[in-house]
Amino acid sequence: MSAQAGTAPRTSASLETRFRATARSEWIKFRSVRSGPAVLLATAVILPVTAWLLCGYYSHNWATMSPASQASFDPVFISLRGIEGAQLFVGALGVITVTGEYTSGLIRGTFIATPQRAQVIAMKALIFAAVVWAWCTLLSFAAFFIGQSLLSGPAKHVAIGDPGVLTAVFGGGLYLTFVGLLGLFIGVLLRRTPAALAALFGILLVLPVAVGLLGGQISAQLAQFLPDGGGEEIFKLLHGGAYTLGPWQGFAVLAAYVAAAAAAAFLLLRRRDA
Amino acid sequence: MIEARKLRKVYGHTVAVDGIDFQVKPGHVTGFLGPNGAGKSTTMRMILGLDLPTSGTVTVDGRRYQGTVWPLHEVGALLDARAVHPGRSAYNHLLSLAAANGIARKRVDEVLDQVGLTSVARKRVGGFSLGMLQRLGIAGALLGDPGTLLFDEPVNGLDPDGILWIRTLMRKLAAEGRTVFVSSHLMSEMALTADHLLVIGKGRLLADTPLSELIARNSAERVEVRAADPGRMAADLRVVGARVTMEPDGTLGVFGLGSKQIGELAAERGHVLHQLRDVTVSLEDAYFRLTGESVEFRAPAPVAA
Amino acid sequence: MMSETIQATPASSGRRAAPSALLRARAALCAEWIKLRSLRSMLVTPALAAVVCVGYADYLCWRYTQRWHTFDAASKAGFQPLDVNFNVLVIGVLFFGVLGALVVTNEYGNGLIRATLAATPQRGLILAAKTALVVLIALLSSAVICFALFLTGQGILAGHVPHVTLADPGVLGRVLGAIFYLTAASLIGLFIGVIARSAAVAMTCVFGVFLVLPALLNSLNGGAWRHTVPYLPSNLGDALWLSHTGTGSLASPTVAALGLVAWVIVLGVLATYSLRRRDA
Repeated sequence: MSAQAGTAPRTSASLETRFRATARSEWIKFRSVRSGPAVLLATAVILPVTAWLLCGYYSHNWATMSPASQASFDPVFISLRGIEGAQLFVGALGVITVTGEYTSGLIRGTFIATPQRAQVIAMKALIFAAVVWAWCTLLSFAAFFIGQSLLSGPAKHVAIGDPGVLTAVFGGGLYLTFVGLLGLFIGVLLRRTPAALAALFGILLVLPVAVGLLGGQISAQLAQFLPDGGGEEIFKLLHGGAYTLGPWQGFAVLAAYVAAAAAAAFLLLRRRDA
Repeated sequence: MIEARKLRKVYGHTVAVDGIDFQVKPGHVTGFLGPNGAGKSTTMRMILGLDLPTSGTVTVDGRRYQGTVWPLHEVGALLDARAVHPGRSAYNHLLSLAAANGIARKRVDEVLDQVGLTSVARKRVGGFSLGMLQRLGIAGALLGDPGTLLFDEPVNGLDPDGILWIRTLMRKLAAEGRTVFVSSHLMSEMALTADHLLVIGKGRLLADTPLSELIARNSAERVEVRAADPGRMAADLRVVGARVTMEPDGTLGVFGLGSKQIGELAAERGHVLHQLRDVTVSLEDAYFRLTGESVEFRAPAPVAA
Repeated sequence: MMSETIQATPASSGRRAAPSALLRARAALCAEWIKLRSLRSMLVTPALAAVVCVGYADYLCWRYTQRWHTFDAASKAGFQPLDVNFNVLVIGVLFFGVLGALVVTNEYGNGLIRATLAATPQRGLILAAKTALVVLIALLSSAVICFALFLTGQGILAGHVPHVTLADPGVLGRVLGAIFYLTAASLIGLFIGVIARSAAVAMTCVFGVFLVLPALLNSLNGGAWRHTVPYLPSNLGDALWLSHTGTGSLASPTVAALGLVAWVIVLGVLATYSLRRRDA
């Protein structure tokens, strides 16, 4: 076949070029399917609205709260509690970013274009994480400021410069990002939407309930090593209680789960049919 | 019989089907042709009550599909071969359709046999090839032994044996007095299978004629002549009133005269002929001529390397 | 269950006698049953629910017998054997909600819904058939699960800690209430599935409604919240089987049952409208 003008021999494309190409492809896929923007929109609603509702409530009822509850009140955590709802959506988005391709068969086209499967998944995860992190961090700040403005006055509130506050607010974005990544890697492992969602929600939401039912000390001891129990330490300001890890230690727990899922995913990726 | 009156479907701002009227009569295989995006699938979905028309009506045997009870006995359709759950076996897939319309179990075995899927009946559909899925879809259409059949791209994925089989099947069904409505892109197949054609483009009906008439009306039948002295031959032909075109290599295209007349004229005038050939127009040519302006999605002509 | 062969009507004999309404209903229900039992994933879900719920609840009850001696007098006095046994339903209800949703969403992703609607164009009938099937399956599985929960759990508690029997006042009502709740949850899941169409959205909603929403809102009990939070489906369900001691603001069992019925009806109406009006 005669060579056509203007195209360099393909085999010598550098690693960087290939990475960039894959990244661009994954970004296009992310932004062009409705679910991505829809979830981002949902998050944009949940975080501020929850902050508004909860902080408004506590501000209104501050005087009737006992001194003990006033002392243990965590103004940052309460402003950011919308994360507990948003994690559903972000996690689900992580899952369907992968399982959507398997269900539609698009994954074959993707792996044909880029046979280095690990590279594809890594890029997918990277793009996903970058977008989700930027967006959710922004919303964390928004929720924080909304919450503090409602709490100011009688209720306990903090300023962004106070010790530990910045970490906690950034932590909100980090937490959601890693929950999304957990969903993504579980999606690679299980490949079908209902099963992957069940697994993700099971680990993230059901396991804490099950552990909570155990009662007694062991309940609290185990809870800190669960992805949500440990992970949420990073967007808390106060770390009371006998069995709570510090913010970064708690976050390390979540990160460990994500790492384990990722390791298993990359291992199985090579061996299985698409 | 399928009958549409001023059938119209609008999605948002896009007019998919623009007020078309047609009848699909029993006893014939009627082909449904049109470029991609012309409105074929939308029309078929409206016939089956899956999409609701914006205005106008379409009926099968005088009744709207939505009002028909147990319609699989009257209308069988193959729209999308992949509309199956991958976790289910072929047998169970057909069995659930049969049960929904009071069709006996035994009939499921019969249609599986008819399409040649008996050996894989209990296997999960997720592992089927496209050809097998097509056969499964055809089996589903035949379940209720219906009087009207709709096929959307039935030969997609079939091997030559399969293509011959479905062509024979469709002609047999039509010969039995059923209404057979087939949408396809495969011109050569359409030419062999269909008796009557509906051609649609950009939501409008462009033709509703028997096949032979469509070809004749849009044909540019000509005779190709290669002569030792093409210039003189062309002049002689023009004198008797024929229209003649000349290719760079000297081949003449003669319009308006039959090959018999040209041969005799050449003999009279002492020309030496190297080739005298009737060129009959294919359905493909007629189709392109007809739908030329109304192609929605056209790939640019490939540049020669 | 029911016979899967219905008498074949003579084929292509022109106009057939129109099948009676009963025959049509039976046919639609039959088709739904075949679709459900021919998918491994749908059969696994109730089985998994049973194993998880009964197994874990029995373990929890056993733990209570082991820890009993560490309880102080106040805890011992306030011990609720049925609550402790049935607490696992907070998890169990999710299986039922997801099952209901999957019955529908299984058909949308791959376009199978078009074949279903082509076979039965009367969309109301299809929804009714799916509803009837889900009610039957949910009632059966939840009854098995709840009674197994009760008998095994109380059996483990008996002799070591306070326990209850079916003969005790109100106990049978609470067990039946749990069955009612799980069945209602399946229907809520089903209707969410019809409206949402995709498995991802439906499952997210099920987990959101039954797990996350109560977690976020249950601590709020002032003002307007007191009139709304108890009427979340999960809280209504809790009101049916939890003991009404303690400081929670649970609705009365009668109100709770009616509330769940109202949820089911409202969602059912929305689902019917959604199925009928939208393109396949």
